[in-house]
Amino acid sequence: MAPVEVRDLSKRFGDVAAVEELSFDIEAGRVTGFLGPNGAGKSTTLRALLGLVRPSSGSATFGGLRYDELERPAARVGAVLEDASFHPGRSARNHLRILAATGGHPARRVDEVLSAVGLDGAADRRVKGYSMGMRQRLAIAAALLGDPQVLILDEPTNGLDPPGITWLRGLLREQAANGRAVLVSSHVLAEVAQSVDDVVVIADGQLRAHGTLEQVLGGDDGPATEVRAQDPVRLTGALERRGHRVERNGDVLHVLGATPAQVGEIAGHERLAVLGLAPRTRSLEEAFLALTGARA
Amino acid sequence: MIALLQAELLKLRTTRTFAAIVGTAAALSVVLVALGAILEEETDPQLLFSNNSITYIIVLLGAIGMTGEWRHRTITGSVLAAPNRLRLLAAKTLSYSLAGVVLSLLVTVATMLVGTLILSAQGEATLGPGGLADVLWRNLAVAAVLGPLGVCFGALVRNQIVTVVGLIAMAAVLEPAVSQVAPDVGRFGPMTGAPGGILGGADAVGLLAPGVALAVLIAWALAALAAAAWRLRGRDLV
Repeated sequence: MAPVEVRDLSKRFGDVAAVEELSFDIEAGRVTGFLGPNGAGKSTTLRALLGLVRPSSGSATFGGLRYDELERPAARVGAVLEDASFHPGRSARNHLRILAATGGHPARRVDEVLSAVGLDGAADRRVKGYSMGMRQRLAIAAALLGDPQVLILDEPTNGLDPPGITWLRGLLREQAANGRAVLVSSHVLAEVAQSVDDVVVIADGQLRAHGTLEQVLGGDDGPATEVRAQDPVRLTGALERRGHRVERNGDVLHVLGATPAQVGEIAGHERLAVLGLAPRTRSLEEAFLALTGARA
Repeated sequence: MIALLQAELLKLRTTRTFAAIVGTAAALSVVLVALGAILEEETDPQLLFSNNSITYIIVLLGAIGMTGEWRHRTITGSVLAAPNRLRLLAAKTLSYSLAGVVLSLLVTVATMLVGTLILSAQGEATLGPGGLADVLWRNLAVAAVLGPLGVCFGALVRNQIVTVVGLIAMAAVLEPAVSQVAPDVGRFGPMTGAPGGILGGADAVGLLAPGVALAVLIAWALAALAAAAWRLRGRDLV
């Protein structure tokens, strides 16, 4: 049983379907990116997982149990939500002390997580004096408080500076390396591409793709090849006659559905000079736009 | 449940709001009692030591504590840490009951000390131990129920300003108006009617007997708790 299972999850707010029949699993020991354009239903899905909104139908569970059915849920699942907020008049240490008391975590964890996120020097300052990045680190500290086996993070890079993003990337990789399941939603696709093993893409509340990063980047067209030819017009004709789709950009051709070996063989058969030949993978941004139908 | 209660009490202790309200309420009460003892010719010590003015502060304290969870959007973190929302509400209700008792105890003891000293110095009659104990239980009983009532109103309304203004309007305008027009109805009110009956004193004419008034006030609090629990349980936190 996967640590996180979403099955036929639907959520309607009045006449608006925020999430429709969504199903996917998250595996332990892997970082999974949860992608979708604004309004795709990412936050609603995460909140349904965490028991903050009630699904209209379907289920979202941790090892088969709803969040509110877990024994000491904060020790099983840590979450950073996009609107994570704190009482401005309370210090970071006191905020974590309260969460530790509520979740039944040992008091020593407060100092440990403050140190882990680099806030030990500012722990006794009131949160209203914190930068956005410091607040985000505090939210991450709160999620780590119970040393959970599942981490759910909604836009965790918001407010973090480049060193902070690098730190977070390392933290996520470390958590996954220790066998934890990490689900991270983000709109910063370049950041996600560097951090994740698996990807779940949704749009309009529906699943558009789910698989390893390589699978999702490969798309539905199979392999693709980038070739630079001396006579791109003749090579285009030869490739299209053999059923390959070709996108031309000057003397560079993007051949969809063909490996470099196949393209080289066709060019050789037609006695056409090839100046460069390489496999081509889509960027995550290209894959995202193709899968979601969003515009660049 | 004990862990939740400890966490809620920690919330109260770790912001300046509670300390500021307790300090201000205690100082104001002592000043009012001192002025009353000095300026009034024939002072009724029971009336003097009854914390009528504190009751509003306690109910507002509960309302501010609950609506603050939405105002500062800490409700999400609270529910994530304690997903059983009914237990969370029960813990908050109980914590504000305890907070109300502590606040009322502080204020009552302070006003009794100052008032008794002034009245004795002026040679006026004051209350013996039995009379002081009678006033004390009445004050504590009102405070113990009004704190939770404020929490439950806050959970129902959520918006802090609307809740606070609504409670002040209910206590200062609505209930007095109802008491003027229909005294038999007004004495059952949760903000002034029933608390007035419990506190008693010279204004007690036409009010409910203390025991009945306490039962009525508890019934109000339980009804508000049931409504708040029903609302909180079914509410999506988006």
